[in-house]
Amino acid sequence: MQVMKKGYLFGKGWRGNWPILLLLPGLLFYLIIAVGPSLATAVYAFTDATGLRGLPVNWVGFDNFREFLVQGAASRDNLAALQRTLVFAFFVTTIQFSLGLLLAVVLNQKIRGRFFFRTLFFMPVFLGVVIQGLMWKLMLLPRGGPVSEVFNVFGVQSEFLGGPPTEAFVWVLVVQIWANVGITMVIFLAGMQTIPTDLYEAARIDGARGWKLFRNVTWPLLTPAINTNFLLNVVGSLQAWQLFLVLIGYKPGTQVLGYLVFAEGFGQTGGSGSFRQGFAAAASIVLFILVLIFGMVANYIVARREKKYMA
Amino acid sequence: MTAQTKTKDLLTAGTQSKSRNRAAIASYVLLAVFSIIYIVPSLLVINTSMKTLPEFFKDPIGLASGLNFDNFTNAWELANFPRYLLNTAFYTATATGIFVLSSIFVAFPIARGYFKGSNVLLTLYVIALFLPPALIPQFQLILNLGLFNTRPGYILLFLVNPIGMIILVNYMKSIPRSLDEAAAVDGAGYFRFVWKIIIPLIRPAIATVTVLHAIGIWNEIVMPTIYLTDSDLYPITRGLIVFEGVYGSDWPGLAAAVLMLIIPMAVLFMFMQRYIISGLTSGSVKG
Repeated sequence: MQVMKKGYLFGKGWRGNWPILLLLPGLLFYLIIAVGPSLATAVYAFTDATGLRGLPVNWVGFDNFREFLVQGAASRDNLAALQRTLVFAFFVTTIQFSLGLLLAVVLNQKIRGRFFFRTLFFMPVFLGVVIQGLMWKLMLLPRGGPVSEVFNVFGVQSEFLGGPPTEAFVWVLVVQIWANVGITMVIFLAGMQTIPTDLYEAARIDGARGWKLFRNVTWPLLTPAINTNFLLNVVGSLQAWQLFLVLIGYKPGTQVLGYLVFAEGFGQTGGSGSFRQGFAAAASIVLFILVLIFGMVANYIVARREKKYMA
Repeated sequence: MTAQTKTKDLLTAGTQSKSRNRAAIASYVLLAVFSIIYIVPSLLVINTSMKTLPEFFKDPIGLASGLNFDNFTNAWELANFPRYLLNTAFYTATATGIFVLSSIFVAFPIARGYFKGSNVLLTLYVIALFLPPALIPQFQLILNLGLFNTRPGYILLFLVNPIGMIILVNYMKSIPRSLDEAAAVDGAGYFRFVWKIIIPLIRPAIATVTVLHAIGIWNEIVMPTIYLTDSDLYPITRGLIVFEGVYGSDWPGLAAAVLMLIIPMAVLFMFMQRYIISGLTSGSVKG
């Protein structure tokens, strides 16, 4: 067998296959652990698989999807989770994008301590969801916690994460942005550093200042970083759910789709604790379609921007 | 006339520096507000970890009465922390090592286009970034391999990272092909060439990928929740969540535990920040 191309110089005959031999472990891991299971999700979605060994797995057609989308009270909950996922993604994307951009603009100036601030805002990314979550659980302690004390000054009372679902949901959203705005900022900063300074000088000579400078130089030339951040934020926020797990657990009226998949599939719903993996697979297909649709919309917007500015 | 223009210049110069001052003040105000939001949680954890439980219940945000490290020793003993920490370190080191090593040998022939279909393979890695995490079939796979609740099974889950692969391929593309030719002329074998020549040359990319991958494993919470039921196998993240479940209101103890997890990360962060940031931004700003 000769799979190597002509440009390959390290030996002929059987020796020519060394690269393939050495590539196999990595490729096999990839196919077995990632690609295979990803594709198999679509198959499991049409079965009644449980997570238990030895139980028969039956083909159930579209039952899981029917249950998810149109069957009585449960499907109302599922659709509510779907809607909540969109709301969560919308606010995370818009706020994280704008805040990240604002911080990057501020820290791209020659401000004293800018490296310190950059590190500080990026730190949570490094700490991971468990620590992020526990820190904010302590911050949001309903009686006597720091945020609660600040609210008291304004005469506002809140149970925070233990409060009504909408309230708890909003706090998870806040922590999500707190935790991840650093990535957005860093990507923007990296983009800004590729903009040549003489362009700014030329614009200044033409009399552009402040907002105009940003609008006419930074914004168009930042296109690659803007596109990356936009896509990452849209896709990432649709799939994000782990902070819900750490901060409030599976609480009715707060779940997003990603959490629903995990909870249904691994008996974490708090009720009977059954492993409804076929149903969970169907739910993750729904989530995937959502990511696909919004990813494509984001991609379309991004492509239009590119045409406008990069032509 | 000249005097007039001069005054006009002075006037505009004045407003300009005034507006610049205003922008600088606004910048600092913004940074100050954000700094508070980012520093206070850490300070709160440190302060809480030094308190006794009654002290905490009386006033959750008051300053600790003194340096008191009892919570640390308690958490260390109660929560089985040494074992969890050891588990985390073992999982992180093993999986990262295997992943990086195996990826180098996937990335290099892709970067060189040495075999047929290498472009298709690269595309497959890019597409994977958008696929949903395949929790369910992955679980069935591990279960049926008999690797549920075992160390090898858990490590197996972390041997893949498409972003890491893409970073490696992109970096290798910047290494001139003439090196391959020279080495081949000198009679070096393929493995020796990659091992002795390529790996030292791509060290920055290896560092980035290693750190990115290691952080992911170190901080993972979903996988241990799904795959590890034996508490002897728990990584520290799972241990912390379980500790929280048991000692939920013992915030001083919990804060001490959190700090013990933060400290190694913070130290690593100081040294590795550059690589993480370059990893996260590589390729993302070039268009």
